[in-house]
Amino acid sequence: MAEVHVIGQIMGASGFSESSLFCKWGIHTGAAWKLLSGVREGQTQVDTPQIGDMAYWSHPIDLHFATKGLQGWPRLHFQVWSQDSFGRCQLAGYGFCHVPSSPGTHQLACPTWRPLGSWREQLARAFVGGGPQLLHGDTIYSGADRYRLHTAAGGTVHLEIGLLLRNFDRYGVEC
Amino acid sequence: MATASPSVFLLMVNGQVESAQFPEYDDLYCKYCFVYGQDWAPTAGLEEGISQITSKSQDVRQALVWNFPIDVTFKSTNPYGWPQIVLSVYGPDVFGNDVVRGYGAVHVPFSPGRHKRTIPMFVPESTSKLQKFTSWFMGRRPEYTDPKVVAQGEGREAQPG
Repeated sequence: MAEVHVIGQIMGASGFSESSLFCKWGIHTGAAWKLLSGVREGQTQVDTPQIGDMAYWSHPIDLHFATKGLQGWPRLHFQVWSQDSFGRCQLAGYGFCHVPSSPGTHQLACPTWRPLGSWREQLARAFVGGGPQLLHGDTIYSGADRYRLHTAAGGTVHLEIGLLLRNFDRYGVEC
Repeated sequence: MATASPSVFLLMVNGQVESAQFPEYDDLYCKYCFVYGQDWAPTAGLEEGISQITSKSQDVRQALVWNFPIDVTFKSTNPYGWPQIVLSVYGPDVFGNDVVRGYGAVHVPFSPGRHKRTIPMFVPESTSKLQKFTSWFMGRRPEYTDPKVVAQGEGREAQPG
């Protein structure tokens, strides 16, 4: 079995209009992939930047996969939320990016988007907060039903991911 | 399917905690420690350290320089649990008590060679305003009982930073 190690950090997020942000992350893989060690999803702490506008989480990611095929190469997906002083949470953006496929350290910047809703919902979001959210999380990383959505851009999630590959040459994959 | 016998590899880390930029604070010292998985063990060198207290330079740079050596070798059979270095920076507050100014963590680089890493630091924050005031007044800021928590992925959602 070929093995893939994904080791790195969700460094933080920038470019969002709200400031106290946290991120829920997960990783999605195809059916041939098996997670040997590590947690498949998690949530960062809430960070309020004191200097500058980038919220830093430095959230570690350490995953060890074994796979029999290349289909379903892992994809990291994110939901960035903001928390106000009353403790209420509001969606700031959804985003996903593929895990890189060449070994080494990579800096990734993942853009995010949020669903807009009708003009009534947008007005309500500006005054009261809240706003539409996706019912099914898999729309974040799949293109299937996207045509139904009207979205606006959010900020960017920054990651530093290191990749180690093992035994891929036995299966005829050059890396 | 033939099982490969576990092969041991060594990871040697040489470097230093060079300097820091904290615009609001002065007279700081830092502590470092390593967090690693179950398959890892240090074989040589020190896995923890406390630096000297440093003051800001008088020039434009306002640099806080430690130049504090890091010298450790790990052995392992599995890349899972790759070591992370956890840094905690402490300094005096208005009343002279030692309070935490920042925590940060980063993975040790994966490829051989010379690497420079800049680590953003964060401080835990109380959620209630009254607690924020009393902690400022009494000099007892929220602090992690074990700084190694910073290197872990689970349980972070409960911490406002």
